Amino acid sequence: MIAAFLVNFLRDLRRQPLRTVLTLSGVVWGTFSVAVLIAFGASVHRMQIKRAHGMGQNLVIAWPSRTTMPYGGFLKGHVVRLSAEDVEALPSRVSGIRRISPEFILPRRIRFGRQELNNSVRGVNPAFAVMRNTIPQTGRFIDPSDLERRRRVCFIGNTLAQDLFRGDTAVGRDIFIEGVPFIVVGVMKEKQQNSNYSGQRDEHCAFIPWTTFSALYGEKYVSNFLFQPEDPAGSKPLIRDLRRLLGRRLGFDPRDEDALFIWDVTELEQKFIAFFAAFTIFLGVIGSFTLLVGGVGVASIMLVVVEERTREIGVKLAVGAKRRTILRQFFAEAQALILFGGGIGFLLASLAVAATSRIKAVTDSVGTPVIDPVVSVSTVAVLLLIGTVSGLMPARRAAAVDPIQALRK
Amino acid sequence: MITCRAITKVFAMGTAKLEALRGVDIAIEAGEFISIMGPSGSGKSTLMNIIGCLDTPTAGTYLLDGREVAGMTFDQLAEARNRKIGFVFQNFNLLPYASAYENIELPMLFNGKSARQRRQRVEELLAQVGLADWRRHRPSELSGGQQQRIAIARALANDPPVILADEPTGNLDSASGEEIMALFNGLWRQGRTLVMVTHDPKIAAHSQRTVKLLDGRVVA
Ligand SMILES: Nc1ncnc2c1ncn2[C@@H]1O[C@H](COP(=O)(O)OP(=O)(O)OP(=O)(O)O)[C@@H](O)[C@H]1O
Ligand SMILES: [Mg+2]
Repeated sequence: MIAAFLVNFLRDLRRQPLRTVLTLSGVVWGTFSVAVLIAFGASVHRMQIKRAHGMGQNLVIAWPSRTTMPYGGFLKGHVVRLSAEDVEALPSRVSGIRRISPEFILPRRIRFGRQELNNSVRGVNPAFAVMRNTIPQTGRFIDPSDLERRRRVCFIGNTLAQDLFRGDTAVGRDIFIEGVPFIVVGVMKEKQQNSNYSGQRDEHCAFIPWTTFSALYGEKYVSNFLFQPEDPAGSKPLIRDLRRLLGRRLGFDPRDEDALFIWDVTELEQKFIAFFAAFTIFLGVIGSFTLLVGGVGVASIMLVVVEERTREIGVKLAVGAKRRTILRQFFAEAQALILFGGGIGFLLASLAVAATSRIKAVTDSVGTPVIDPVVSVSTVAVLLLIGTVSGLMPARRAAAVDPIQALRK
Repeated sequence: MITCRAITKVFAMGTAKLEALRGVDIAIEAGEFISIMGPSGSGKSTLMNIIGCLDTPTAGTYLLDGREVAGMTFDQLAEARNRKIGFVFQNFNLLPYASAYENIELPMLFNGKSARQRRQRVEELLAQVGLADWRRHRPSELSGGQQQRIAIARALANDPPVILADEPTGNLDSASGEEIMALFNGLWRQGRTLVMVTHDPKIAAHSQRTVKLLDGRVVA
């Protein structure tokens, strides 16, 4: 029975190539465009997040500066200064800070062999690496014992490593910073960095323990410090507490925003998240419409098909086909066509995505698109539903008539 | 074999009602060869469709092989059409995109015959109607007479006891018509019951007796 059914089914499909091709192309186009659209959209999304995280994630950066309001007997213009020890003690004084690092920044002469550059050197602690995403490609970042022992070790940006070593191994080598030898303990993994502050981008920098920085260059007060709040969404009250505490200790009005200038990168990130939520919804809407258009195409073809096949239904009924046999045939035809078309659509989409992934100009701007299996499956499911319903309704109507009426058509 | 009692068929044409059959009584024994004649619009096709289980009467009883047809479900009617009756139409009603072979095979796809059984039966029937060399051709590539012979082969696919034919020669030239009648005579001699509608007295002469219809009633 099943075999006979298949015979019938395949025969009908094969005999009407135009109809089959039309239906298929609707499904192929629908699935192809949805898959490609979502793949590229999601890829742009990932790319932007990665770039935003290039500087760091859940980050707040603070610069002690000069007061612009008189406070506690000081006139305005009083310099606000904060030592690295004070910075590292902050988490015990204000609650809600997950990790914190002081940062000293100076341009320094960096030399290896004949290569000499004047690049930014940053004195930081190990927490910096997590906050600023300076992930080692080789070796390691600065560790707590480096800090404690004021070791002359450095972690260097990937471009700096390239400039100095020209592709040779960097880790374990000695470089000279202002004539003082430092051992390279790690090289940063390449990253996309959208924004930056004070000094060069991380790829050009050398990172050393702040204790070493202080001792060698006689710097007591930090250029800035950076921290991560425990709760990325709750940075506002934390910053308020911080201003109040530091204002009291260092002598500035908590309302004097310029005295301690703060860049709340988490705020940007929240906006970013909101923007991409909107972007995803936008993509979803576009995708749904594309799918709907594809579905309407499939539906209209199914309608036409049943209309023009009423006679065929009549003949089959007249020679003894049962109603459910006819319905099952239409049902299976619609589904097989949609599954097959969906398969081709996704194959084409994968090919398109694979082809564009090889073009550097594309991957640089939109990242590497990947076909999402969930999107794939649900697209086909939606088309199946549309195709089946749209095919089944008229088929039911056609199979419900007396064979005589169907034959009259 | 076929017993019709007080069969009426009323078509609703908008508000007007059209009585196509007004109380038809007919009894056909197994193995009989009957022709039905009558002027156009007298209800011949309507009666044939009812006998062929393609349509149901508005009132009256119809016993096919001893079973009441009036109360049958759609699928039971389909089964009767599939096994009990072979219907031959004036306009053939072949599937245009299927080959001669596939058209003959069609009724066997709806009752679970194995592929081997089907092949064997189609070959037998192709030989019987003398079209073994035309198996791959589509209806549009065959003459009217050849198409009607394929349609007859299809009607015979499940070896039904009853063959119904509504003006089987109506669209054919007289030579082809005679070929078809030769086939029908053969079928009747095999013991089948034949009921045939025709306008042509020469064709009707092949049958054992003729029933005349006029205005939805049997006359003489
Ligand atoms: N489905 C239908 N709806 C409405 N009226 C119908 C229908 N089928 C048949 N009729 C009417 O019923 C009457 C009998 O029709 P029928 O087709 O049985 O005549 P017939 O004897 O076969 O005629 P012909 O010799 O022309 O084939 C006609 O008046 C016809 O118009
Ligand atoms: Mg008629």
